[in-house]
Amino acid sequence: MGDLFSADRLVEEFPKLIPYLIENLKVLLWATVFGVILGLLITGVRMKKIPILYQITVVYISFMRGTPMLVQLLLIYYGLPAFIDPILGTNISREWPPILFAYTTFILNQGAFLSSIFYGAIKGVPSGQFEAGLSVGMTKLQTFRRIIAPMAVRIALPPFGSDFVGVFHNASLVYVIGVVDIMGRAKSIGSATGHVLEAYVIVALLFIIFSMGARALFGFVGNKLDYANIKVR
Amino acid sequence: MLEIKHIRKSFGRNEVLKDVSLNVKKGEVVVILGPSGSGKTTLLRCLNFLEKADSGEITIGNKNVVIQNAGRKDILDLRRKTGFVFQNYNLFANKTALENIMEGLVTARKVPKKDARNIAEETLKWVGLHDKADYYPSQLSGGQQQRVGIARAVALNPEVILFDEPTSALDPELVGEILELIKKVATKGITMIVVTHEMTFAQDVADKVIFMDGGVVVEEGAPKEIFYRPKEERTKQFLAKFIIPDNMYYI
Repeated sequence: MGDLFSADRLVEEFPKLIPYLIENLKVLLWATVFGVILGLLITGVRMKKIPILYQITVVYISFMRGTPMLVQLLLIYYGLPAFIDPILGTNISREWPPILFAYTTFILNQGAFLSSIFYGAIKGVPSGQFEAGLSVGMTKLQTFRRIIAPMAVRIALPPFGSDFVGVFHNASLVYVIGVVDIMGRAKSIGSATGHVLEAYVIVALLFIIFSMGARALFGFVGNKLDYANIKVR
Repeated sequence: MLEIKHIRKSFGRNEVLKDVSLNVKKGEVVVILGPSGSGKTTLLRCLNFLEKADSGEITIGNKNVVIQNAGRKDILDLRRKTGFVFQNYNLFANKTALENIMEGLVTARKVPKKDARNIAEETLKWVGLHDKADYYPSQLSGGQQQRVGIARAVALNPEVILFDEPTSALDPELVGEILELIKKVATKGITMIVVTHEMTFAQDVADKVIFMDGGVVVEEGAPKEIFYRPKEERTKQFLAKFIIPDNMYYI
């Protein structure tokens, strides 16, 4: 391979890259926490079929699920200031650091994806469970809280886990709007040294390790929640 | 004790219940027979508002509800006077056998947890499953699940228990033991309405048999009347399918 790849550079660049993973993790954290909140709100709108809001969510979800993350990121980065600044008289295109645009995009994206997961999970609980709750005299809300929701959580967990890993992978796109994350740093190391491959190998390794860790964690939690597998004393 | 007047229910253009009225006395066991699609299950589900009838009037104990004016509180009151046993058990999948029985007591009726546990243990013992208290529904057989389902309804001590084809989803060899258990419920003096296809059970246990077809009550009376001296042609036709003529065996 000539001088295209060297193990020494790999070891040397490792510590230079690692700190920048924080930026990607921050995107993941914001996207997950606020995405869950937004996703639950949207699920509520869809369950209750609240007029107007419901139609808006339908369009919104099909947009978020029908366009690539990269496109959404660029649309928000260039589009949000164009939309908000004239209305509010702000100047967010200058005042906001790029990562705020990344947060916004990822939260909006996750709201749509997670609401689909949550909604599907609630619908996935057999209707007989709901009827049984009503039949023993519980209110709809009590039945939802004590019976439907815990079962929906169990159903939602595996797709939520895949989505979680997917968001982290997608978070590697934020460098295109100028966030200096692990990809941005890998790129700059590449242009500074003239050797790009090692940095990207490191990025790939870190992503693999994270993904496997996350999958293992979700698998573990899933087993814990699985009432069908619980050993009887 | 339980009275329904002029219940009507349509699903779209399909009128499933056409002016059904019924009167059940305290402690009575009423069995509803009829072909599929005759509206018997819908009638049962309308009684505790799992299905909301279009019009009519329901009285259970001292609670009278006119369907059109039924508010959330009315529906809840009525549901708390009834127990329901489902065809496919519908045990709470995320709760153990014991918790399944406790749930309605604790959450809906605000019985203190300790008392609810005692009642649940007692009832579970009564249906012969005291050793399965900590099992989840998925770890129980169909027959065991239905026992828990019956225990869940009985433990609430409702004014009436509604059984919706309680043995239809069971292996044939398990049907007998569940019917025995339902008989045992009957001997407790609890008012029951049972939708079933088990003719022998109807003959043995029912105080009153109701034959429904096409959304109306065709005929009602004591089991002896209905089974041996049916008045209506439709009832005769229906029952004839269940009685195998002797000469069938001699070819």
